[in-house]
Amino acid sequence: MTTPDTAGTPPRNWVGRSRPAVEGAEIVTGELVYVTDRRVPGMLHAVVVRSTVPHAEIRRLDTSAATALPGVVAVLTAADVPVNALGPREVDGPVLCKTVVRQVGDAIALVAAEDAATAAAAAAMVTVDLEPLPVVDGPDAALDPASPQLHSVGNIAGRIAFASGDVEAALAGADLVLRRTVHTPAQEHLALETPGGMAIWADGKVTIWCGSQNPGLHQRKVARALDIETSAVRMIAGPVGGAFGARNDDPVPVHLAVLAHATGRPVHLHLTREEVMTAGTKRHPFTTSIDIGFDRSGQIVASQVIAVADTGPVITSGPNVLKTSAEMSTGPYRFPMASFSGTVVYSNNSNNGAFRGYGVPQVAFAVENALTEAAAELGIDPVEIRLRNVLRGGDPHSLYRHRTTDSLQVETTLRTAAAHPLWTDRQGWQAAGDGLWRRGTGLACAMKGVGMGSGTGDVARARLEIDATGAVTIWAGPNHTGQSIQTTYEQIAADALGLPIDAIEVRVGDTDFVPESGPTAASRSTYAGGGAVTRACAELRETCARLGLPLATDPAGTGEKLVELGSAAVEAEFFLPSTEDIGLIPADQLATYGPHRVYGACTQVVRVEVNIRTGELRVPDLLSVVDCGTAINPAATIGQAEGGALQGLGLAVMEEHRLVDGVPVTTNLENYLAPTIADAPHMQTVLISGHEDTGPYGAKGMSEVVVVPAPPALAAAVLDAVGVLPDRLPVTPERMLTWLEEQPCG
Amino acid sequence: MRVNGRPVPFDPRDPQLAATRLLDVLRDRLGLTGSKEGCGVGECGACAVLIDGRSACSCLVLTGQVAGNEITTVEGLADRGHGDLQAAFVRHHAVQCGYCIPGVLTSCAALLERNATPQRDDVTTALGGNLCRCTGYQRFTDAVCDVAAARRGAAPADDGDGDGDGPVGAVGSANSDGQRAGGS
Repeated sequence: MTTPDTAGTPPRNWVGRSRPAVEGAEIVTGELVYVTDRRVPGMLHAVVVRSTVPHAEIRRLDTSAATALPGVVAVLTAADVPVNALGPREVDGPVLCKTVVRQVGDAIALVAAEDAATAAAAAAMVTVDLEPLPVVDGPDAALDPASPQLHSVGNIAGRIAFASGDVEAALAGADLVLRRTVHTPAQEHLALETPGGMAIWADGKVTIWCGSQNPGLHQRKVARALDIETSAVRMIAGPVGGAFGARNDDPVPVHLAVLAHATGRPVHLHLTREEVMTAGTKRHPFTTSIDIGFDRSGQIVASQVIAVADTGPVITSGPNVLKTSAEMSTGPYRFPMASFSGTVVYSNNSNNGAFRGYGVPQVAFAVENALTEAAAELGIDPVEIRLRNVLRGGDPHSLYRHRTTDSLQVETTLRTAAAHPLWTDRQGWQAAGDGLWRRGTGLACAMKGVGMGSGTGDVARARLEIDATGAVTIWAGPNHTGQSIQTTYEQIAADALGLPIDAIEVRVGDTDFVPESGPTAASRSTYAGGGAVTRACAELRETCARLGLPLATDPAGTGEKLVELGSAAVEAEFFLPSTEDIGLIPADQLATYGPHRVYGACTQVVRVEVNIRTGELRVPDLLSVVDCGTAINPAATIGQAEGGALQGLGLAVMEEHRLVDGVPVTTNLENYLAPTIADAPHMQTVLISGHEDTGPYGAKGMSEVVVVPAPPALAAAVLDAVGVLPDRLPVTPERMLTWLEEQPCG
Repeated sequence: MRVNGRPVPFDPRDPQLAATRLLDVLRDRLGLTGSKEGCGVGECGACAVLIDGRSACSCLVLTGQVAGNEITTVEGLADRGHGDLQAAFVRHHAVQCGYCIPGVLTSCAALLERNATPQRDDVTTALGGNLCRCTGYQRFTDAVCDVAAARRGAAPADDGDGDGDGPVGAVGSANSDGQRAGGS
């Protein structure tokens, strides 16, 4: 390793190199103690009593028999929760239902007992008399004035609308107008570790070990419910087995805290898969309509997108998801005029919340399908029509006209994908198909904002301390939920400080030590958290330079001196920059629309084989070309791309959370299908060179955008194979057969 | 009944224990929390362990059914000679959240014990019952094929998927930064 000059910028030794996850060795030996693995002597076991119906009035709740069972320590109901609210608004829902249940799986009571079997037995003895109410089973029912109103504000959870001109007038002058509607389903996150963990109440303070993508938010939720100061709540949000959005909206940390507070004992709770598939959040199902016009050359003239989403009984992320849908309703394309109108409703269906991609896959399916169809109608190559419309770095956004980052390289991802053998050899590959299995190749592209958006005050922080041996500890957020963000932060810090990486330790996810840094969400962890780490490191270097201390060549001596001077700790924050030009958005409404400055991009190519007799699909190959600026840890970035692409492919071909009259049908892994290794294509990933000037070492986020192109690329491949463009996901064999019967391909 | 080479400190034929899921006995009685519960119905494979060298979901097995058998959990894989497999998973960036990994590793260990020359399709068959939601699976296959080749004394070829992990130890070494192309 070269010795950096403390006066200049240290050379890059770690940024850009693939580095295995720091916790990898503990994972492969089984030593890593996940939050639900934690056990302490004398702990209680908890069970949640839940609603069995989608909508009902609670007539009577009798816990006496359960409470009387030997071994039962507590049976808690709404009256036992100091402030029975999961958020500041009524629409955030209660911690425990008091008068009404609004979905199957709604929490009604919490039982804690000396052992798990007793807790389960007691839960079964809680008597709940439920008087069924009419069920609001989706957007049509929600918007029907005759339906029950699920909240005092009605059944509308949110609306967002914007227009940059008179789209209908513009469409009248177009050479080709497509008016299409697509449907995308609720999707299960399926993080392998189901929600749960432990809580302990001691000395007026509650400590909760439970997965969270937003430990600070959960800390505030717990403090509100228990009516205590946030400083009396410690969230330790890991290690945890996956998230994908599900751990933004999860009430389990609050349930754990309420139990520990009431019993004064350590409490363990671990939901079953069936519980989380019934009661946990999903990806919002959408119906998305698009009217889009093209001229003869394939240039987009204007588009109008109308989206209707179902958020279930409580608000969770509904309106914010729709905000992201609005922003991405014009895809990665530049054209003169657009409008978006979106509505998100309450229903008695499963609650829907944050999910990787956050409203983008749903609208992207409509936009990309339209591009695919227009290319076929106009006789233009699918890549060419996209290149003719592509949004370039610095261009104004098509809906809001705000300025996009210079680092945006949708075009390079498209050109790189188009030059790849999976695309260039598509005709040869198709011709080599045989008999019943028809082959096709499809392509789609996407972009997605990084961070919470302009005007939202998005900020991340990092705290750094050097000790007298020269060892550096950094407490940083956002938290780790599977992407080994600590490894990335360490690489950034090693280079920013010019120190050996082994001298640096990063800790995440503990609200007692990590300064508030916002969520592990919105593709922001590397960009926002890395930005804060970079700034904390720069501050330490400046201190050393000011004091004439040789940090890089004598870290121990420097550390010793800094400790002696009381200057061994620094804290820094990174405010995510807003767009430089907010375009048509009124300044006082910037946060309402939250347009981004920084975007990542991705183009994917999918090969598909369709069996025209059975409707089965096979996906042998998938290419992702990713624009993520600098990849701090390339192998980890590629790992995110592979996993995200497979999640997108799952949405495309098999995943669908289904309900009948508000009752979930797909409540376990026997009837909810998600991709296994046998369903996974051979995946190739190309990271294109790039540099985002506002990001740490030029990095920007990419973990969501890789989910987005897979469904429309799959649909385009099906069109290429059998001449049918799917307008509803997932493309199951049954649906495929129906489409083939409607339009035989010979 | 032996677990990870040692006799268990209880009688697995005791009626209450015999009727308890093997997974619960491993986690709660023996403190071996490496084996995870992801679904409880044998669909996700996070609880997979070796029973006399064969991979099985410990959530579907009652302790009394394996009272005379040799059980190996993820904690015992190194002692059974699979430390190289565990290291390969780290080296190949095959772990993300890691919750599925104990079950994945035991299924891969079972494969390698019965087949010293697995092809990629053999890995697919062996891991058909192990769900992973983070990775996309192909690094598992890369790691297993890499280990099988190394055990035979052969160096595997690059698999061309862009992650630069073909040659043993490439990922994580100083010059490997994933495939890069294009640029503007």
